[in-house]
Amino acid sequence: MSVFQLNVNGNRHTVDVDGNMPLLWVLRDILGLTGTKFGCGVAQCGACTVHLDGRAARSCAIDVGAACLSEITTIEGLSYDGSHPCQKAWVELGVPQCGFCQPGQIMSAAALLAANPHPDDPQIDNAMRGNICRCGTYPRIRAAIHKIAGSSS
Amino acid sequence: MSGIFRITRRDFLRNIGVGTGALVFGCSIAPDEIFADTDKLKSLILRGIPLSAFVAIKPLSGDITIFTHRSEMGQGIKSSLAAILADEAEIDWDRVTLHQADADAVGFGVPFPYAIPGAPAIVRAEDAQFTDSSRSMAAYYMPMRIFGAGLRLVMVRATAIKWGVKESELEARQQRVYHAASRRSIAYNHLLLEASKVKPLPEIDEIKTVLKRPDQWRFIGKTTMPFTDAKDMVTGKAVYGADVNLRRRGMLTAMIVRCPVANGTLKSFDASAALAVPGVKFVEPVLPANFPCTGGVGSNFVPHAGVAVIAENTWAAWQGRRALKVEWDLGPNESYDSEAFRDELKESTERPGKPVRWKGDVDAAIGGAAKVVEESYYIPHLAQTPMEPPTAIAIYENGSGWEIWSPTQGPELAQHYIGLAMLEPDLVQGLVWQAVELSELSRECEHETQKIFNESLAKRLGVDEATLFKMRDDLKKKVRDKVKVHVTLLGGGFGRKSNPDYAMEAAFLARNHPGIPIRVQWTREDDVKFSFYNSVSRQYFKAGLDAGGRPAGLLQRSAFSSFFATIFPPPAYVPADQGDIFAKARAAFHNGGEYLYGSSIELGQGLEDNPYVIENLRIENSPAPNHIRCGWMRSVANIYHAFGLCSFADEMANAAGRDSKDYLLELIGPGHMFTEAELRDKEHVPCYDNNLFPIGRKMMPIGGQEKEIMPGYPPDTRRLRAVVERVSKESGWDEKKGKLPKGRGLGIAAHRSFLSYVALVIDVSLNEANELTINEVHAALDCGRVINPDRVYAQMEGGILYGLSLALLGEITVKNGAVVQNNFDDYPVLRIHQAPKKIYAYFVEPSPEVVNDYPGEEVPPTGVGEPPTAAVAPALANAIFAAGGPRIREIPFCKKIVVL
Repeated sequence: MSVFQLNVNGNRHTVDVDGNMPLLWVLRDILGLTGTKFGCGVAQCGACTVHLDGRAARSCAIDVGAACLSEITTIEGLSYDGSHPCQKAWVELGVPQCGFCQPGQIMSAAALLAANPHPDDPQIDNAMRGNICRCGTYPRIRAAIHKIAGSSS
Repeated sequence: MSGIFRITRRDFLRNIGVGTGALVFGCSIAPDEIFADTDKLKSLILRGIPLSAFVAIKPLSGDITIFTHRSEMGQGIKSSLAAILADEAEIDWDRVTLHQADADAVGFGVPFPYAIPGAPAIVRAEDAQFTDSSRSMAAYYMPMRIFGAGLRLVMVRATAIKWGVKESELEARQQRVYHAASRRSIAYNHLLLEASKVKPLPEIDEIKTVLKRPDQWRFIGKTTMPFTDAKDMVTGKAVYGADVNLRRRGMLTAMIVRCPVANGTLKSFDASAALAVPGVKFVEPVLPANFPCTGGVGSNFVPHAGVAVIAENTWAAWQGRRALKVEWDLGPNESYDSEAFRDELKESTERPGKPVRWKGDVDAAIGGAAKVVEESYYIPHLAQTPMEPPTAIAIYENGSGWEIWSPTQGPELAQHYIGLAMLEPDLVQGLVWQAVELSELSRECEHETQKIFNESLAKRLGVDEATLFKMRDDLKKKVRDKVKVHVTLLGGGFGRKSNPDYAMEAAFLARNHPGIPIRVQWTREDDVKFSFYNSVSRQYFKAGLDAGGRPAGLLQRSAFSSFFATIFPPPAYVPADQGDIFAKARAAFHNGGEYLYGSSIELGQGLEDNPYVIENLRIENSPAPNHIRCGWMRSVANIYHAFGLCSFADEMANAAGRDSKDYLLELIGPGHMFTEAELRDKEHVPCYDNNLFPIGRKMMPIGGQEKEIMPGYPPDTRRLRAVVERVSKESGWDEKKGKLPKGRGLGIAAHRSFLSYVALVIDVSLNEANELTINEVHAALDCGRVINPDRVYAQMEGGILYGLSLALLGEITVKNGAVVQNNFDDYPVLRIHQAPKKIYAYFVEPSPEVVNDYPGEEVPPTGVGEPPTAAVAPALANAIFAAGGPRIREIPFCKKIVVL
């Protein structure tokens, strides 16, 4: 067990955990931030996507020891009131079905749009292909990103 | 009031703890005595006064709670059903809070005749919350309207009493009743005392006269339908199974090493290394060897035998699990190999099987044919892989029993299975659960098997039938009192979460640690390796085409491992002296078939309801044993039946040199509604189940007189034809024909499932490297009245993508009895870059001729979650062939073409 200082959503947290514990489980089990989801544990599905220094990262595959070097943003910290453009567009277009993968989808989309405000379809594919949705909300995720980008597919 | 409300009322009263008072199912009003009891009143003021099992109102604020009883897993049913009720009740949606109801099998049952006007129950009380078979809307659309309208009527009547005016002068709008003449109005919550004096409460027949007209609806059928959870879902606040926070109560997390082979048992384990992992608290078996795994309503949904590592957090449990050493006795299923089994299925379909439906002389028709077409199709096991892996939390308290939180499609099933397994270890005693009064059965075909079962069980237990039913009621009461199930949001279900094995694991572990919440967390590997898989199947067809290319005769054989072999224990596991009673229980349970053969449910999903007009027809069910757990996946047996039949239709069209769409329309013919009598007399259908929804017309006593009613939704090929015509038109099939460039093609398929009708046209391109591009998907749906257009459209998109995923990529294989795949790397699912960018859905309204044949003024709403899925694989295979690609007769397609 080791002590780590984490900067999550602008707040500092001190945790005493196994240094190999993935950030995902620190967020969920230790800090109680359950908006970040567990879907596969091997960086295959994107349900656990968070931002490390603004870039999308799979929290199930990053040790707490590595994560503590970055500013961490989770879905809870993307906006305090659900007003991030992605969150608004997602609600407006009725993107979610079961909703489970959507925090991860939104974190990936938000990182994409921050880096590239006007992505085309191949760029959307490239940024979003790491996020699985079993309900099949892909058409609406694409539409929501285009809507924010002010483009059409 | 008729006796049919008996159970519901009694149970309702017990639940809210008030005495008998003015109360009618779906439209009850708090009885007078509530207002005389200060303590009770205080608590009700805070949490609201229940107006029915579905609605509570806070007397001071007027805020409303609507209890949503069906599980929400992405289909939007939570908001949709509540909004139907609110619409009819004139409840102000801005003041509504939705509350997911606990398991309460009887409280939410919809007895005859709520389901559809003049028809018997679609959902028996036992199945009230079982969110499967795409039937929430089919079963609860009309009940929700009636409950809502009944509430509104009572409020109007209460106002009439209060003000001494005529009801006809009053109008209810948004939780207020208005009296225009005196310019007065009053809020619902200020009418509760008067409402409790409305006696007798209105009966269903009267409530039906005050239902809103469609032009008066605020939500029903409109895009204004609310989607309550959307904002919580995008902000991370929505609570799924693993998000229930019981950490303050000392919650521990368990991860389980399971026996890789179904029905294997634990031999030994060494816990020392696991216990050495920091944070690990306990290591213990999940199921002892003699754990009851049979009985009751088919409670073989037990987990694989396992050893649990219970720790302070998920990561510690996972590390402990990795360190654990376990030895298994794998049992007879160790020899199961899916490649070898494929040959077994092939051999099985090469021999005559059990006849399912037949007419004419197929052999003669094929023998005298101008051309013979003979093909087979193979569909492997498939896993559902909902994004949220199974998880459940249980607390056991000595004396009071279990409290469980779980994302489950079957709240009351979880309650019943867990209760039975924990509280009634004797297998035969547990079977009393299945004793059913014959008067409760709405299908004639069930009577005989149930009668035999009841008599045999009573005899075996040495009791008379009355005692048998009393034993059953006592057992049910015990189970329902001792097991409480809270339902969270489901992070996808797709049939996987119909089976509550993971909740059973949590309940079992919790019993060892009274007072401590235990959360069982599955990994994705657990989910892939320990699913209840969609069955592996082989579909064989042989048709003789006449000189005009039409099939003069068709022989079809379907081989698949029935999920009934999972629900009920394999014969080898049943003690010899109990074999007979279990055979009878199996036969009585949902018309379950014999071992090796399919149940009526599976046969009714696209096999015996073959919609084509063919003079000489023989449909057979070929035997297939079962060696792993089989269950349900979005559209279930329709997946393999539709893939076979809709692909073969296209192969016949090609053999005849005909246009696929024109040929399909010719196969369907002008269309007609199937009737039970017709099939029995002319086509020899031994058991025409229609997916548990009875067909045919019969006389039923309604309102004191015999009335002809149509109990259910028989297949209607007029509706199938209409969706084919619509999708052809919308996709521009005729315009595109012959004009598409090389390497591009259209495929068509149409299938009825879960009472709805879907036709798809898929437009694909295949380049020289055999790489697939799906250009467009067009889908026409007839699901009767569309209640929530946006969510129905979303289900179409989702159902199509789910179908594409399984068709292109889906395959579970088994070696040495164990599933080979692990995670999304070796069990891939569709990703965004593989999803077509253009998906168009069209809602087809039933024609006036069709509407005329249904009771009431409309064709009631039917399923939308599953129906789109089954037609995808054949439409895609047909399109690939049309594009100049190979004829694909096997899932997954990625073995024959390149899926980038």
